Amino acid sequence: MDGRRLVFAHLYPGHMNLYGDRGNVLALRRRAEWRGYDVDVLDVNPTDPLPLASIDLLFVGGGEDRHQELVVEDFVSRRQELVAAFQDGLPTLAVCGAYQLLGHRYQVADGRWLPGIAWFDLETRSGTDRAVGNVVIESRLDLSPKTLVGFENHGGRTFLAPGQEPLGRVIAGHGNNGQDHMEGAVREQVVGTYLHGSLLPKNPQLADWLLSRAIGFKTGNGELSPLEAEFELRAHAAMVERFTGGGRS
Amino acid sequence: MAALVAGRLTGSVSRLLGHGGSSVPGAVARRVDPALLRKLGGGLESGSLLITGTNGKTTSSLLVEQILTAAGLRVLRNRSGANLIVGLTATLMQAARLDLSIKADWAVLETDEASIPRAVEEVRPRLLAVTNFFRDQLDRYGELTSAVKLVARGAAALSPAAMLVLNADDPHAASLGREARGPVVYFGLGSPDLALDAGAETLDARFCPICGEELSYSLRFYAHLGHYICPGCGFARPRPTVEAVDVVREGPSVRRVRLLVDGAPTEVTLSLPGTYNIYNAVLAAAVAHGLGVGTEAVVEGLRTSRGAFGRMETVSFRGRELRLALVKNPTGFNQVLRAVAEDPRPKMVMIAINDRYADGRDVSWLWDVDLESMASVMGAVQWVAAGTRAADMAVRLKYAGIHPTLIRTVGTHAEDALQALMEESTPPLCYVLPTYTAMMELRGALERQGLVSSFVEG
Repeated sequence: MDGRRLVFAHLYPGHMNLYGDRGNVLALRRRAEWRGYDVDVLDVNPTDPLPLASIDLLFVGGGEDRHQELVVEDFVSRRQELVAAFQDGLPTLAVCGAYQLLGHRYQVADGRWLPGIAWFDLETRSGTDRAVGNVVIESRLDLSPKTLVGFENHGGRTFLAPGQEPLGRVIAGHGNNGQDHMEGAVREQVVGTYLHGSLLPKNPQLADWLLSRAIGFKTGNGELSPLEAEFELRAHAAMVERFTGGGRS
Repeated sequence: MAALVAGRLTGSVSRLLGHGGSSVPGAVARRVDPALLRKLGGGLESGSLLITGTNGKTTSSLLVEQILTAAGLRVLRNRSGANLIVGLTATLMQAARLDLSIKADWAVLETDEASIPRAVEEVRPRLLAVTNFFRDQLDRYGELTSAVKLVARGAAALSPAAMLVLNADDPHAASLGREARGPVVYFGLGSPDLALDAGAETLDARFCPICGEELSYSLRFYAHLGHYICPGCGFARPRPTVEAVDVVREGPSVRRVRLLVDGAPTEVTLSLPGTYNIYNAVLAAAVAHGLGVGTEAVVEGLRTSRGAFGRMETVSFRGRELRLALVKNPTGFNQVLRAVAEDPRPKMVMIAINDRYADGRDVSWLWDVDLESMASVMGAVQWVAAGTRAADMAVRLKYAGIHPTLIRTVGTHAEDALQALMEESTPPLCYVLPTYTAMMELRGALERQGLVSSFVEG
């Protein structure tokens, strides 16, 4: 196997692509290419094969409620193989709707409950209104900067079971449920979050966290050469400043 | 009458105070008389036309106005910023006599999708035209299907004699015709030359609006506009009454378009760039056909076509040519990029992204724009990122594959953007692609510098 070639899988790009999810995949691709890797992105739609053994990183985005419902059955049918791959350490980013599908179950706006694959120990209840706005969190991952910035727009309220690690603590915005100041969830190398914006372009440290694990997952050595990130960090800092005091809101 | 006077008075005071706000008088007048818009709608000689949909409302309204005017009719049209109920009220009010009659045959009213149910109920339009449905500012409008539902509610409330003019190439717009009680005129494109060879666009609506199955396309023009059929339930593109079947370029910005109107060929010339403007022109021709306006007026109205307020509008200052084209959602942005690429001259491309309420506070849609395919074919020698989200836009351009040394980020204020446009090293041709409030602010800055006289749209 060629160590300079990476394969990313983008699950449900036709159904779950609501909030600039392309940007997350593009950020991962570019940051790998700028370091001399060749990247293939495999689009996987419902019923398509998902060759997990040859995939180095998995991304799943958010979708309209109707579209999310259309993929639930397919996603749940892949539960066993996904859980096995997650346990092996497959780096994965799940944003918004996909994050909800990684919990035990989620409730749609009309009150019905739909199943998730129970990778994260959490569930998502339908809220009375949508949580919409800019978000700044302090991540629990070993990242520099520690902050992650993004935008959230979700009707569901997600509650973590005790012991389920969140992605971080909310500094500005709603996060998982607007009550416990927690946002997202992490288990093994799987990150679930409500943050889009797109998330990874303005949070290059999280993009590199995933990328380093993808390369480590493949080759056993996840060391990354540094990249200049002037634009990215400026966009990041602008949002931190603006939404955590000091700046206008 | 009291409402009219109160509203007009507010309008004068508002203008004296320097607020452009054309909707304020409408709001005041409605407070005095909530039934005012109903009364005004009945005061027109012929009636009202509503034009709605995500993209193309302003330009197609302008084209309809030009065609009707060429036919010798007196037309009233609202400004693009005044497309909510209060804006419609203000527009009709300002033209009304004290007995609430209006000295115009037709009011051409572009109307925000969310205002359609109420506008239909109060204005009682003779015709409702729908351009298209794309994802647009999700933090404000929610999902695409909610906009479709609102317009469907309005369509269902039309009087039985009222006409629907629908984009046959847009599955959601076309699906509104299925429940119609009155006449329906479909319009569309039939020229394979305009079809996309490949597109990395994010498709907003690739699934059947009736049964949810993935649609199958024999021809796709952009986004989900094209010739489609649903393999699940058989729902298919209706046959258009007015169709653009051939497009020939006649000059850098002039195209000759062959229309089939009820099977009869007509040649029109159009000086607005991009495939999206062919849709606008065909919609206008379809409205004209629906109203029984003759082809001479269609030809004449389209021949004199120009960019509406901030929609590929040309402004000259200090020997520079500035072309302003509003961007507000991925599909519209993609279309504007293609139109800019049609202009072979070297140019600066400035993208000014604001995240105020009217722009949409969520800028993630920028990542759904297909800049990757377009960046290298735009003829841009300089890129400038501006607006309150200038830093985000600079990142976006970098990840599109543009070298960071070609990307300049200016301050978040309109004055900073203007400064960049005025520098000596700036090329003589600048395309400025702003979001809505960025456009309004930039116009304001140009005015304050005395570089252009006060903008009056019309």
